[in-house]
Amino acid sequence: MQMSPYFKSAEYVHEHVQPEDRELATLKSEVDKHNLTEMWDMILTLDYEVNNVRELSRETREEFCGIVSLLLKAFSK
Amino acid sequence: MLTRNRTVFTQLGTDAIEKGLADPQLSAFYESMMSSSGLVSEKLREHMPYLSLCSDKIDNLTPPPIFYVGRRSSQRILFGEEWAMQHDEELRTPDPELEHASAEAYRYALEEQPYYGYARTRLNVGGKILDIAFERLIVALRPTPNSDRRFCAYFGVIQDLQQL
Repeated sequence: MQMSPYFKSAEYVHEHVQPEDRELATLKSEVDKHNLTEMWDMILTLDYEVNNVRELSRETREEFCGIVSLLLKAFSK
Repeated sequence: MLTRNRTVFTQLGTDAIEKGLADPQLSAFYESMMSSSGLVSEKLREHMPYLSLCSDKIDNLTPPPIFYVGRRSSQRILFGEEWAMQHDEELRTPDPELEHASAEAYRYALEEQPYYGYARTRLNVGGKILDIAFERLIVALRPTPNSDRRFCAYFGVIQDLQQL
């Protein structure tokens, strides 16, 4: 696909990207910004026993997103 | 309104665990965390279902907000699935008086050493008045050796629970 020179590729969102993927990307960005990446990794590996969130089923991913939302609220205020 | 005439919050100290007086699963968690010097390791995995995790943000009136409630944790058993799964606001236990009474134990765990104690109190949970006795261990942990993050792991064991 030819990209416009005035369009940053990092801002491109594929038309088939699911809303939950966007939510996940937003949460991960906030987690990194608040220095909580280690906490993200800890929950993912110790509780869900995966290294990458994309290995989770959609339902489990939603549950994980809920935990991360609480994590951000608990540490960032 | 809550009736508080039977409320007791007593710190027993971790010596009681070392003397074998605590719940066996709670003791196993304590020994495991002490053997890893308060650092998160693979040893934490088997205990995760029984834990509630919260941050290190504390004031004199409230314990830190909770971000994780294990599938078999005493808080999930007590306050229910719906409470445990909500994430629109900071997650706190639903009884403000319990929150207030619990705050000092979290401060102790964060600023001094692991807190182990016994509590008996009455709670209002969804309109039901419950008389509950529980032991609790609160340990401050770090996710990695060089991390500047800390969090509290809460291991509660309900010893007695009666609806009044």
